[in-house]
Amino acid sequence: MKDCYLGVDIGSISTKGVIIDENNNIITKAYIWTEGNPTNAVRKLLDILKQKLPKDFQIKGIGTTGSARKLIGLMLKASVVKNEITAHAIGTLTFYPNVRTILEIGGQDSKIILIKNGIITNYAMNTLCAAGTGSFLSSQAKRLGIDVEKFGDYALKSKNPVKIAARCTVFAESDLVHKAQVGYPKEDIIAGLCKSVVLNYLNNVGKGKKIVGPIIFQGGVSKNKGVVKYFKEILNEDIIVDENSHLMGAIGIAVLAKKNKTGHTYSLEMKNIKFQTKAFECHRCPNSCELLKIYRNNELVDSWGSKCGKY
Amino acid sequence: MKTVGIPRSLFYYYYKDLWEDFFNALNISYIVSPKTNNLIMNKGLKIADSEMCLSLKNYLGHIDYLKDKCDYILVPRISNFKNDNQTCTNFWAAYDIIKNLFDIKILNYNIDLEKGQTLKKGLYKIGKTLNKKPFQIKRAYKYAITKEKKRLKKNHQINQNKLKLKKTKILLVGHPYNLYDELIGKDIIKYLIKNNIEIIYSDKFNPKITGPLSKKISKDLYFKYSKDNLGAIIYCQNQINGLIFISSFPCAPDSLANELAMRKIKIPYLNLVIDDSTSFTGIETRLESFLDMLGGKLND
Repeated sequence: MKDCYLGVDIGSISTKGVIIDENNNIITKAYIWTEGNPTNAVRKLLDILKQKLPKDFQIKGIGTTGSARKLIGLMLKASVVKNEITAHAIGTLTFYPNVRTILEIGGQDSKIILIKNGIITNYAMNTLCAAGTGSFLSSQAKRLGIDVEKFGDYALKSKNPVKIAARCTVFAESDLVHKAQVGYPKEDIIAGLCKSVVLNYLNNVGKGKKIVGPIIFQGGVSKNKGVVKYFKEILNEDIIVDENSHLMGAIGIAVLAKKNKTGHTYSLEMKNIKFQTKAFECHRCPNSCELLKIYRNNELVDSWGSKCGKY
Repeated sequence: MKTVGIPRSLFYYYYKDLWEDFFNALNISYIVSPKTNNLIMNKGLKIADSEMCLSLKNYLGHIDYLKDKCDYILVPRISNFKNDNQTCTNFWAAYDIIKNLFDIKILNYNIDLEKGQTLKKGLYKIGKTLNKKPFQIKRAYKYAITKEKKRLKKNHQINQNKLKLKKTKILLVGHPYNLYDELIGKDIIKYLIKNNIEIIYSDKFNPKITGPLSKKISKDLYFKYSKDNLGAIIYCQNQINGLIFISSFPCAPDSLANELAMRKIKIPYLNLVIDDSTSFTGIETRLESFLDMLGGKLND
């Protein structure tokens, strides 16, 4: 039997899973939509991975990252639970040890990571506002009646992208509606949208940061060729988009799981495991904490949200 | 005997010790509203106008808590400290906002050094309103102000000592009413302490030393508290591992100060903007990765 390691990245929009071997080669991978239900998405993800994984491999470590990392970490009894910035940096450094800048745009987050000699020196992440991230693009795709996956192809067709306000998506959206109603062709609007995502990114998370090559662009939005094109144009630098750019977080956390071996062997079978969450409000004090209790096989494994630590 | 109510928000975090010393010396009874809890915050959100900043909304919640528990509520108006040292507009307007929103008796004094209204005159006015004799007020003022000066010196010294420690040090930049508030900044401080970080608080430096240093970042900035914060960053930037800038949404002076600092400071920098919708999960992701970066943990 050969050893392998599973990394799961549960984002707001998509859930990614990667299994790597001792030498960081990807054995299998899967990418599905989260659809607002991380536990279900992970069950589906594991089913896919199980079918694809050759029989002579056994899983010796599991790591979780992404916004649902804690919940899924409990569900899978993961050995490593880490934030997505660290995971992305590690994943990228595994394949590109010389990288200096990582641009990342995901479903609700966008971040920039600056690296020197293999060490993160600075990073920034969007604050409260999710402007210019993947969820904005997919909601606009729905409005225009086009699959978000085809956005890139449309954008490349345009010779004359329309101007769209880059600061705030509420303004961007009204700009967009206005431009559509006066009769601009769809590809020009989509190209304008892609450009505004780039400008928004550089104005928000990229401000004051010195962007030097080699630059790697990743996260779900990196699959959009239009956004890549405008990054190249505006930064005037080459942009590397890895074939697995959307999986870098999952790869990074799998690498971390490999480094933190527990000696335990994990199973991908989730059918027999009952996983439930129960939410309630505590009224013992004026804080009225919203509590979440987490049960694995009817056994309470954790509870979150309490300010006083009673639960 | 009359009771004075002190809201535990905004001004409180600048003047709490001074006020308490002053009232104690004059034998005036006072109550302080409790640490912010969801009930207080939600009340504030309900009363407030949607454009107000989170900290002011919180302040209104504290006033509401106190309104039928005391005879007076202490609401100063702090407008400027002369020479391009203004406070934020909420500090100017708090008195008028409260007066319009609540039917209560307000204990007020002004600090407006451009018009010669000093802290001393302010506290004398308060003593007089509460029917104290001038010699009593004089004694109490002297007592409170001497202690305050000592405290300022001591806090500055503590921060300087912390800067010499060999631990991972983070400068926490922000207004004290955000940093120390139970709902706004407390969770962040708790998280950092749990991870064995030495926290240096920007507001604990002596403003006379830090304030002028802000000129290195901006010569034109005229917000006193922002200047003090920027000065603190300059003061210790070579002795700390990173800095975290905490502000409440949508703070105007902070949005400016943060932009200025972010562009000119070359050490690891994290900006956290707190609003009432903020869940700690998002903050935790940012804090965790920030600490990972400072620790250089990637390479082990």
